[in-house]
Amino acid sequence: MVVFTKTIYLDNAATTFPKPREVLEEMIGAYSSLGVSPGRGSYDLSMKAEERVMGVRRQICQFFGGSDPERVIFSYNATDALNTLIQGLIEPGCRVVSSRLEHNSVLRPLHHFSEQGIIRLDLIPFGSEGFVDPMAVAEAINPDTSFVILTHASNVLGTVQPVDQVGAICREQGVPLVLDVTQTAGLLPIRMDEWGVSAVAFTGHKSLLGPTGIGGLVLSPTLDVRTTRFGGTGRDSLSLVHTQTYPHRLESGTINIAGIFGLSAGLHYISSRRMDKIYSKELDLAKRLRDGLDSIKGVRVYSTNRHDPWVPIILCNVDGMDPEDASNILDGDFGIAARAGLHCAPLVHEDLGTSPKGGIRFSLGPFNTDEDIDKVLEAMNTISRSK
Amino acid sequence: MEGVAQAVARRQEFGEKVRRIVGREITFDGEGFFWDPHQWDEEVAESLAEEAGLKELSETHWRILRFLREYYLQNGRSPLNRQIKEGTGISLMQMETLFPGGIKYGARRLAGLPNPRTCS
Repeated sequence: MVVFTKTIYLDNAATTFPKPREVLEEMIGAYSSLGVSPGRGSYDLSMKAEERVMGVRRQICQFFGGSDPERVIFSYNATDALNTLIQGLIEPGCRVVSSRLEHNSVLRPLHHFSEQGIIRLDLIPFGSEGFVDPMAVAEAINPDTSFVILTHASNVLGTVQPVDQVGAICREQGVPLVLDVTQTAGLLPIRMDEWGVSAVAFTGHKSLLGPTGIGGLVLSPTLDVRTTRFGGTGRDSLSLVHTQTYPHRLESGTINIAGIFGLSAGLHYISSRRMDKIYSKELDLAKRLRDGLDSIKGVRVYSTNRHDPWVPIILCNVDGMDPEDASNILDGDFGIAARAGLHCAPLVHEDLGTSPKGGIRFSLGPFNTDEDIDKVLEAMNTISRSK
Repeated sequence: MEGVAQAVARRQEFGEKVRRIVGREITFDGEGFFWDPHQWDEEVAESLAEEAGLKELSETHWRILRFLREYYLQNGRSPLNRQIKEGTGISLMQMETLFPGGIKYGARRLAGLPNPRTCS
């Protein structure tokens, strides 16, 4: 039996853990000195907090290759951002093109409106290796299509989608492309203007290395999103009509400034360590893990061996074992935290043939090591031999 | 404690099946887990074990089942993975092989614990 002293954390696609010390220190420091309502009063502290928040909007806009920092909208997370976007874009009778690779953060809102007969939903399948064919997107678009919404990378398979090609198609056909960059932000460069992307939805708590509770949208100047939540913005208070200028058009109530400070520190951390180096290290470990798992008799790996482009996510199963049991054994006997189940992406598992029990997902983060991979492979070897 | 409306909604979502076991009516969910852990007793466990292919529950099986139940009834939740290992002195890998259906569908179900339903 392997003796373990600490948990080897491999659920970074859900939330990266631990966070860099710099992120936690910045959150405490900045919140201690500027933890007020930004831009809600004329006193200096409020103005300074607003200035600081605007600085983070600029930082995010630049990070995603956007063009207008005022069109950076803060939300709780990517699901919240996607709900704001989807509900603010759909019109009765419109069509929306998406894919079967999506997370429930996209599928559930779309399904909700589709079931109510408000929209028509066209879901594109993915190929055997987990990629959406851009030509399938082109074929699905028709004159009633309101927008295309795609994940940049599958949270189950890690496959990075050819969004630049999809963006070119959408641009040519005059249809906005919305990108869910939950799994890629902080690992891969995202160039929304260059790729023809009209909006990105992101979360702070994954590879951007920020805390939970902060995420957002970056919108291109050509995309307008209706307000679907209303309230105080600190502006135009005399009017009962919600502020229509960005970013407040899509932000109501006091924003999560501790989260914003943490997100900013996460972005600084990534920039100082160089994102390409962080990605390269995680990818090397993921390749080792993928290939190692693939060589174990009794372990089935579903992730492609096309390693580029890819984010460090590996899905597998142990023959004849419930994935949840395998995950519990990894945790209880070996101190390895991995995620079993459907990963909130039911259609991916349906198409892989792993539904309803799903699979075991290993997802790497910046603090995983070669030793972690050795221990996972040793554990999976032992577990597979126990059956 | 779960409210009545919440309990009804959960049962509608996860299914409900009443079966007669050793003369008693017991309500299970769609995956065969007890809705009410208090409907469990050792006779019922023996009968369910036999259905699952375990002709006899050994002392080791009973040690695991009793630990799972006692922990659940005292704490209102199932024990954590490491607590199971510490509390029973048996690795989860061994437990997987001891029960047909493994840890979740074998041990937890035979112990009469509600369906954990994590990420399903």
